[in-house]
Amino acid sequence: MKNECEKWKDQLLETALTGTASADFETHLRSCTICSKELDAARARKARLDELLPLAARGAEPPVDFRARVLAASEAVREGSRARRWRLWTLAGATAAIVVLMIGVTIYRRTAPAFPKEELAMAQKLAEWRAPSDGLLRTPGQEMLRTMPRLGKSYLNVPVKKDEEE
Amino acid sequence: MTGAFVNALILKAEAPETEAGFGERIAENQRRVFQIAYSVLGNSADAEDVAQEAFLRAYQKYASLREAEKFRAWVNRIVFRLALNRRRGHLRRLTRDTAWQFTEAPAMIDGAKDAEQRVMLERLRKQIELLPEKLRSVLQLSLVEEMEAADVGAVLGIPAGTVRSRVHTARKLLLEAMK
Repeated sequence: MKNECEKWKDQLLETALTGTASADFETHLRSCTICSKELDAARARKARLDELLPLAARGAEPPVDFRARVLAASEAVREGSRARRWRLWTLAGATAAIVVLMIGVTIYRRTAPAFPKEELAMAQKLAEWRAPSDGLLRTPGQEMLRTMPRLGKSYLNVPVKKDEEE
Repeated sequence: MTGAFVNALILKAEAPETEAGFGERIAENQRRVFQIAYSVLGNSADAEDVAQEAFLRAYQKYASLREAEKFRAWVNRIVFRLALNRRRGHLRRLTRDTAWQFTEAPAMIDGAKDAEQRVMLERLRKQIELLPEKLRSVLQLSLVEEMEAADVGAVLGIPAGTVRSRVHTARKLLLEAMK
């Protein structure tokens, strides 16, 4: 293509694609053999393109058993989703039961009757009570109760007053 | 009678009806869905995987997609997105695995009649890959049978007029590139 024909390049492609040329371009074509040849070549390419382009998408067909395969796969999906739904229900049920139990325990603890003050005071007294005989264990004879006396010795070391003997 | 038990009974009673309706939807849409995936991915094996995945997702949402038109629009959109995601994954892996070499893994091309057409188709695919994303998406979807400009626009969220204009631009670029 000559330099002066460069400006017709777009028109040339348009004409090849649409089949109609503008008046200006037609005038140019009558006087330019190069552009005429170029247009013929572009028309041939366009015919080839029309033949090939559909093959780029329609070259293949789905397999004969495609529908059956999709249906089988969808059945598997349905089974899976049913199992998932069952698991979800079970989990939700268990969670609800735990929550209800916790709420119940909390409410019971808050509303359970408290011990009356008198009863608490009595219980305190009972805990601090000591038997009156506890005092006897702290007498001087206490040691005798814990250990065995030796022969000739007595734990009752009572000093004898000589004046009194005489 | 527990809620779960009632739920199970309802599911059981509805199952055959759901299956029948869904089977019908697959039959109506499978060809187009497969082609959308194929136009993006360029091979049957991946297209089949992606188409199946799209239908499975539609199945999970089938309760809200019972109307044929709604189903059609939804599945078109989903399969296109899934195919794009897979393609991006492939490209990432390809870049990572072959970064050390210049040879490119040959693309699998189905549907070509002869070797020459196969070569031309491969070249065309490469040129389509080189198109700007906006033009490429529109072109790929427009090539699918039963996909009118409005359908393509619904998938991509653009008006039908924009779809037609982008397809024209894409074809012009390809015409120039395929010299």
